[in-house]
Amino acid sequence: MIPRTNVLDTAEAAYQSAFGVTLSSRVRLARNLRGLPFPDRASAPVRAEVRRLVMEAARDVLPCQDALSSSTLLARQQLFESHLISRNLLAGSPETAVCRNLTSTQAVMVNEEDHVRIQALRPGLALQEAWADADALDDVLERHLDYAFSPVLGYLTSCPTNVGTGMRASVLMHLPGLVLMSEMEPIINGLNKIGLAVRGRWGEGTAAIGHMFQISNQLTLGVPEERIVADLTEIVKEVAEHERNARERLKKERRLQMADLTARAEGLLKAARLMTAREALERLSELRLGIALGLKRRIPMATVDRLLLEVQPAHLQAWAGRALDGAARDKVRADRLRAELGGRRTKRMAKRTTT
Amino acid sequence: MLCENCQQKEATLHLTQVVNGEVTKCHLCESCAISKGIDVHATPLDLGDMLKNLKEKLAQVQPKPSDAPPDSSAACPGCGATRTEILKKGRLGCHQCYDVFSAEILPVVISLQHNDQHAGKVPRRASAHLKTSVESARLRRELDKAIASENYEQAAALRDQIRALQMEAPSP
Repeated sequence: MIPRTNVLDTAEAAYQSAFGVTLSSRVRLARNLRGLPFPDRASAPVRAEVRRLVMEAARDVLPCQDALSSSTLLARQQLFESHLISRNLLAGSPETAVCRNLTSTQAVMVNEEDHVRIQALRPGLALQEAWADADALDDVLERHLDYAFSPVLGYLTSCPTNVGTGMRASVLMHLPGLVLMSEMEPIINGLNKIGLAVRGRWGEGTAAIGHMFQISNQLTLGVPEERIVADLTEIVKEVAEHERNARERLKKERRLQMADLTARAEGLLKAARLMTAREALERLSELRLGIALGLKRRIPMATVDRLLLEVQPAHLQAWAGRALDGAARDKVRADRLRAELGGRRTKRMAKRTTT
Repeated sequence: MLCENCQQKEATLHLTQVVNGEVTKCHLCESCAISKGIDVHATPLDLGDMLKNLKEKLAQVQPKPSDAPPDSSAACPGCGATRTEILKKGRLGCHQCYDVFSAEILPVVISLQHNDQHAGKVPRRASAHLKTSVESARLRRELDKAIASENYEQAAALRDQIRALQMEAPSP
């Protein structure tokens, strides 16, 4: 059950001020081993050798190691939804792997587009820290691995868009205010012009599902990592400021519409008996906006953030403990949302808890 | 930095051109760029388009059948990838491809990245020589910029730094 409070407690206020707009920061580094073809052109034995070398090098710091070819599709989908593996590794091709630390905040993908893809994740806006984590992890791996590096082009990668630092720094932002005020498109254009990419976390462009956007650097050559991180941090702060500003205006100028939008979202989440992943993400996003606007004080924002991950297909099936087809997932998802958000329980659910 | 053309407005467009392997740079303000027919609102980073344009350009310079045979079948000794395969996929086969096909790859890298010199992390296990060469390349770029913007004081300081670096650099 959701705790009932009338005032925003300090923990909730702190959570909202840290993660209300910027949910997480991520730094990825692409690396390849000297003297071996990139994964795309490497033979199976070479890829297997790369995997052995990287897993060995990462063992001490990243003890959770999955050879993806021997894992189930559901397990891989869960890793994908958690952003720990890319779409490319979903297929579970032979000789691919992911190595993680115990908290899944640091990971290495093996034999993706490049031999090594280092990732470090931090909550909120913390690109500096994420870069420091990735840098340290890179140093550990480098003690055992000989990287392909050129003094002119830096770290050599399969795709020339990554050459140089091999670094992609990105930030996940919730920007419903800018979308609802129709200000997202000029912002995306402006960011593109200064060499930043904007992608929907789910879905593309302004049609991003759940108003979730990822902003990342495009250029990787000629700019030191610290600069990439510092520049992106400044820009993200600016975008966050615009978002807060847009939210303020929504609250002042369209208070009734916002109360209606978020009440409908809450109503559906608490009453629906079937719900697709897309609808769940959209309604949760609107509910999240309502919480940020102070219109929904009873639901902690952290609960919504957890649900944004848990309503996705693989996480939902893992929670249910069995494989579910699309229709069955929609039912389990709706049940789960009602239970979590304190909505109406069905007779069967009530019976299940009493027995 | 002032526009090279009108010498009045601030240069906001920095173009890097590669002609016959020669890299030239030019700095223009938006109005001069438009008057020169440059699409100032072009989205700069599309590898697909870049490679398509590159292929078209390569097709134009393909020698006629009577000339020396094209070496599009020449393969990288490191991975066996051919020029055609790399251009088609937009992916290199191994780190040696960067050297073997540098004539084709370097212009792509420059137009994608707007830069031709790494500045950033160097593997910790790399030799001191390698670290020095990355650092001095970075300083040389700064020096070029300082000269272009007529900041001679900064240029002199940078030149001294480069000299000092070369003096203390251990031989490879």
